[in-house]
Amino acid sequence: MAVPATLTAAERPARAVSPRHFVRLKLRVLGNNFRGQGWRIALFVGGVLFGLWFAVGGFFGLAAPGLAGESRYALMTAAFGGGLLTLGWVLLPLVFFGVDETLDPARFALLPLSRRTLVTGLFAAALVSVPVLSTLLAVTGLVVTAGALGGWPAALVGLLGVLLGVLLCVAAARAVTSAFATMLRSRRVRDLAAVLLAVVAALLGPLQLLVLGAVQQADWDRLTGVARVVGWTPFGAPWTAGVEVAEGHAAAGGLKLLITVAAIGVLLLWWSRSLESAMVGAVSSGPSRDRRGTVAGAAVGQLFPRAVGWARRDRFGALVARECRYWWRDARRRANLITVAVVGIFVPVMVNLGGSRLATDGGAAFGEATANSSPVLVSLSMVFVGVLASVTLANQFGFDGSAYAANVVAGVPGRVELQARMVAFSLYVVPILGAVAVVLAVVLGRPGWLGVMAGGLLAAYGCGLAINATVSVLGAYSLPETSNPFAMNTGAGMARSLYALVSMVASAAAAVPLVVAAALLGDVWLWLALPVGLAYGLGAALLGAYLAGDALDRRQPELLAAVTPRR
Amino acid sequence: MTDQHPALSLRGLAKRFDTKVAVAGVDLDVPTGSFYGLLGPNGAGKTTTLSMAVGLLRPDAGQARVLGHDVWADPVGAKGLLGVMPDGVRLFDRLSGAELLAYHGLLRGMDPAVVDQRAAELLDVLALSDAGRTLVVDYSAGMKKKIGLACALLHGPRLLVLDEPFEAVDPVSAALIRDILHRYVVGGGTVIFSSHVMEVVERLCSHVAILADGRIKRVGTLAEVRGERSLEEVFVEVVGGRTATGEELSWLSRRR
Ligand SMILES: Nc1ncnc2c1ncn2[C@@H]1O[C@H](COP(=O)(O)OP(=O)(O)O)[C@@H](O)[C@H]1O
Ligand SMILES: [Mg+2]
Repeated sequence: MAVPATLTAAERPARAVSPRHFVRLKLRVLGNNFRGQGWRIALFVGGVLFGLWFAVGGFFGLAAPGLAGESRYALMTAAFGGGLLTLGWVLLPLVFFGVDETLDPARFALLPLSRRTLVTGLFAAALVSVPVLSTLLAVTGLVVTAGALGGWPAALVGLLGVLLGVLLCVAAARAVTSAFATMLRSRRVRDLAAVLLAVVAALLGPLQLLVLGAVQQADWDRLTGVARVVGWTPFGAPWTAGVEVAEGHAAAGGLKLLITVAAIGVLLLWWSRSLESAMVGAVSSGPSRDRRGTVAGAAVGQLFPRAVGWARRDRFGALVARECRYWWRDARRRANLITVAVVGIFVPVMVNLGGSRLATDGGAAFGEATANSSPVLVSLSMVFVGVLASVTLANQFGFDGSAYAANVVAGVPGRVELQARMVAFSLYVVPILGAVAVVLAVVLGRPGWLGVMAGGLLAAYGCGLAINATVSVLGAYSLPETSNPFAMNTGAGMARSLYALVSMVASAAAAVPLVVAAALLGDVWLWLALPVGLAYGLGAALLGAYLAGDALDRRQPELLAAVTPRR
Repeated sequence: MTDQHPALSLRGLAKRFDTKVAVAGVDLDVPTGSFYGLLGPNGAGKTTTLSMAVGLLRPDAGQARVLGHDVWADPVGAKGLLGVMPDGVRLFDRLSGAELLAYHGLLRGMDPAVVDQRAAELLDVLALSDAGRTLVVDYSAGMKKKIGLACALLHGPRLLVLDEPFEAVDPVSAALIRDILHRYVVGGGTVIFSSHVMEVVERLCSHVAILADGRIKRVGTLAEVRGERSLEEVFVEVVGGRTATGEELSWLSRRR
């Protein structure tokens, strides 16, 4: 009997795994990542500086009511400032930045860890990051406000509140991206995503009017009322707890802390659910539609989707067809496309509707100005959408990863490669852009401006294609080979934002002549905008493919090395 | 006049990663019509050498020529003669097998009708037709090797460069791959492949090179390298392996 006893003793892990191990693992991975990579260190330092800037700005903004002794602004600052911050943590990872998957959950699938250990560990590791620390720094401003207005007890509750608030932000970001990633992986929801998209777009209009109506009747009591309501939701609760105590409602402060804790609990539970399916699903990440069955038609016919049926069956056609299939079949690329569609419709409607609503109510001088220069405003927002759509290609080779080796081995000329990629992406994006123009024209009730809109969109999109072709060749970086479309490699989040920013500014600058034309030419431009914009965009894209293609020919192997994930 | 050149000739190829020297000057001549095995333990530099030979990785120094065409100075001439199956590299795996073959064929500038016919034939022979429209990402490891080989063969290259073609392949498929490669060499093609499986190399190869620590340690025809001994003995001696004495790892045993 002695032998089994020693065996079980030997096979049981000597020490329990605690969140500390995950944190140390993350720090170690971060450290190794920097080894011998000067530019990564530079990017990291840049990120830290940016975070510091944000933290200091946020701190003084949130501490202002306390420092100035203005108690009536305290609640509003806390509720709206904190609420926006939380909303940013929920939405921004989905739309722009992705989540840092230094510790990929799938890597832990085979280890004998309970789900609870895994979630708390990954959560602890997620807390060790620049954005979290700078957020924490910023929100301590609220503690200052609470303390200045309500003394030590308020400061203490405020501190507890902001600490919990930061935990809430991180938990929300993780839970939402993880759930969304799981959703996009399954085929059922992939098709549902299109419907969801339509619903969101449809809801935007009414929602917009509601918010604008509220802002326009911005009397004090109403805003305070809204702030009070927000303060009782998880978005505002952690941030306003301290203010409540300062105002003498100690019980309310305590209750808000409880609300926060409960919200964190629910979010972590939700995250652990989707985490499990992420770990299991990571093995086979392809769309698991049953694609067996008899092969219909010959190989070449199968490769070309119907939308590419017009293409010649040659090298260029094959590249376009393959890219076209990838934009739909690769969850990561599809997520990008959906983002373009949502943001592309959302932002211009918001900007222009906001502008014209203010104008029709004839209030502020600002409103009149926007009313007079509306084709300019429209052109500007169209430039934004075109640029945003094209920035999806800023790391187009990163999507391929090491698979790009096939094109290197076949010796595909750079210009052919880039032109084909532009065409394939445009097959998806140009219809989206068309929809944006039509929706905006209908919403604004200005069908006559359709040409200006389409012209601005096409010009900016073409310039964006050119700039991003160059950025994608010169500034490529590898993406992790996980099935989470929002996953980023350590440090790559910074690189991604930086390249995206550079290319967006450059593309917008290249498209400025069209906005100037809209401002100077008046009514003639309503007719000229479309043909001129089309020619401008097409010319820019061709020039970009020509120049960047040359660079690609010279550095194919370097590009391959850059996009190959390090194992 | 390309026939006077060796199918592949490497001169002084070298590559270092940061501080690690992966390949320290490799000279190799692969005669036309030979079946060449590049042997070496894990981390010897096989993948790095072959990547530099086919234009996937830029060498720090040295030259690679395919039938006389310099891979780096005349990539179009060299790459047209090459069929490559890299290791540790993904395929465009969101395509089905047939789609992937069509893509590779058209990328090589082949006639679509020829692509259709050869793709169907290759899928049949490699027993991949059953997979139908399954995406390559959902293939098993062995099936991925086979479709990779099919991609390399499709355009009828003069020289096949295969990195670890027999890894993770079941015996039945391995026999099939051996057969295909054998027929390819008999038909006038040249193959160089890397491996650390002695039996396969001993059974197939006309020539062998043993690579360790980024250098060629032995090179020649199979008979020259092997001499009187088995290839495995030579290999272990050259590489300088060690054997477990039985004192260590005693906890592996459940009997005390
Ligand atoms: N991209 C890389 N970065 C750093 N080191 C590398 C890289 N690729 C290979 N190495 C190193 O070079 C050596 C040779 O690797 P490799 O050519 O893959 O060996 P083999 O294929 O014979 O197993 C190994 O020690 C490996 O760690
Ligand atoms: Mg290898």
